[in-house]
Amino acid sequence: MNEFLQVEGVTKRFGSRFALKDVGFSIHHGEVLGLIGPNGAGKTTLLECLAGLMSADAEVIRSAQQVLTHSALKDTLFYLPDAIVPWGEQTVKWALGFFEGLYGTPKQKLSDLLAPLRLAEILKSRIDSLSKGERKRTVLALGLLTPHPLLLLDEPFDGLDLRQTREVMALLKSEARNNRTLLLSIHQLADAGRVCDRLVLLSAGKVVAEGTLPELQARANLPDAGVEEIFLALT
Amino acid sequence: MSYLPLLAKEWRELWASRSFWLLLLMIGPLVGHGFITAVGLYAEASGIGRGPAALPQGLTPLDGMLAPAFGAYDLAATFLLPFVVIRTIAAEKQSGGLKLLLQLPGNLSSKIFAKVLVLTGGWLVTLAPGVIAIVLWKLYGGHLYAPETLNLLFGHLLRMLLSAGLALAAAAIAENAASAAIVTLGITVGTWALEYVAAYRGGFLQQLASYTPTAALRNFEQGLLRTTTMIAMLVISVAGFALATIWLHTGRTWRYRAAGTALVLLAASLFLLGASRARASWDLSENRRNSFSRADEAALRQINQPLRVTVVLAPEDPRLADYEQNVLRKLRRVLPQLDVDYVASGRTGLFEKPEDHYGEIWYEMGGQKIMERSTIEEVVLEQIYKLSGISAPQKLDDDAFSGYPLAARAHGAAWIFYAIWPLAIAFAWWLVRR
Repeated sequence: MNEFLQVEGVTKRFGSRFALKDVGFSIHHGEVLGLIGPNGAGKTTLLECLAGLMSADAEVIRSAQQVLTHSALKDTLFYLPDAIVPWGEQTVKWALGFFEGLYGTPKQKLSDLLAPLRLAEILKSRIDSLSKGERKRTVLALGLLTPHPLLLLDEPFDGLDLRQTREVMALLKSEARNNRTLLLSIHQLADAGRVCDRLVLLSAGKVVAEGTLPELQARANLPDAGVEEIFLALT
Repeated sequence: MSYLPLLAKEWRELWASRSFWLLLLMIGPLVGHGFITAVGLYAEASGIGRGPAALPQGLTPLDGMLAPAFGAYDLAATFLLPFVVIRTIAAEKQSGGLKLLLQLPGNLSSKIFAKVLVLTGGWLVTLAPGVIAIVLWKLYGGHLYAPETLNLLFGHLLRMLLSAGLALAAAAIAENAASAAIVTLGITVGTWALEYVAAYRGGFLQQLASYTPTAALRNFEQGLLRTTTMIAMLVISVAGFALATIWLHTGRTWRYRAAGTALVLLAASLFLLGASRARASWDLSENRRNSFSRADEAALRQINQPLRVTVVLAPEDPRLADYEQNVLRKLRRVLPQLDVDYVASGRTGLFEKPEDHYGEIWYEMGGQKIMERSTIEEVVLEQIYKLSGISAPQKLDDDAFSGYPLAARAHGAAWIFYAIWPLAIAFAWWLVRR
């Protein structure tokens, strides 16, 4: 896979505490890259810094060796935060229509998302009346309606049951096959192992390892281990 | 990117706001109370029921109906509108919608501008009770003068923008809606305190107090359109919007915010300083209360020498208020080279003693000086003509204002403002929420 973005030296401090320290990794075209780590590892902080929603103390983002500013990145990536209830008093249908109209998304795109995200049953519901899983599916749909080639998803499976998780995984894989690149922040390591092509292991604000599952297994010297065992071995 | 979806979204969000519906609900009875009381008092002053009537020249719709009825909008802009404005930002901050909004196409200033446009549209909707009051007034047989009426509406629009600017900035800077509301109301109370202190201190404080929302609106209520007031209100509003843009973006560093804030405050101060020098103003009142007679104005415009006026009256002395109202305010509009010095300090302090020459007003032009204690327009003008060597013009009758008595009761107004309006708003709210 060819390189899409190179992230280098991302550092963020809150007072004397480093939330992120010299974090760097690469993102390849059309891959599902998993950002994994325990709670407090700095995953959300990293995603918000990349999206320009939080100012990093230091960071360099390159594409084809050229340094990109956040204004240039705005057309490249879109970040879907976790646990948000945007425009709570509006309906799901309105929110989807808003993004469709704003980005000029073809109607077919929304039709293709209705079934896998089970949106038809909640279209007329107010966003603040949805359950956690329903909100997650709605926000996911909003992100997938954007034209951005890179999506940053924070905990995309949080609040979903097993069947819904598998359906969303299949949808994300399908998006990746259609040349959309995805960076998923996941703290459920088993889910990460199922859906991601490559993984970035983050612990205490530092990148511990990066690579495909076989590469990480070799690194951890655990040839048949799953993501959880690899993570425990390397952190 | 089409701006329309963003505008449509903001408009929809406004109509989902409980605070906006509360504003709509309350503005009807507030305007109604002002209107009904004003019409009643106007009718009594006009001699309704064969009671004693005031001089008709003193009966103007601007003072008698428009200013009292539309005074409700000043109240709304002070106490109700800030909550509507704060919600437009606070709700998105709290819900996480801000994180999506910041990533949507277009820069943040265009998104803030969309909010301002929509708030202005919402404010125009709240003008409905005011329009109803105007229609009723006409149906009762009342007179209206379009320039002074439109000037008053324009003044309230600027007042609304001022309130919106301050509230948007507070909402962007503060942690949450409650803090933003406290800051906004704190600023309002601060301006009242400034006006109170300035009334007794005069000088720079009084100049500063002339820019408070209440003082600024007073100009429009008097039928005056002053460049300095317009610019000041717009500058403060735009500064508020600019501060909101600087502070709302979560990805900005503290250095950027501090530098941006300093720049905005510096630019605003420079504009306000420039505005204070702007002299252009228009008297749009039908009775020309802010102007000398046309003949006197034509004569005074012939003076091309500077006139220095030294006033030895304390700020709290009612004679000074009379002098400002009857003479100085009109003189400033006609003589570009007018300098006024207020040399008396307040007289209400514990250790204040009467100044020598207290009560004197000195006029100086071309090396000559005249002293006059009177604050009456005709007497003062006589002194100025004497100093300038210009002969006093002949008085003409074309400036005479006959007044518009109206001995009519506010029939049906109570039903409209206290019953029909609130019910209509409640019904509309139910329809929208369904």
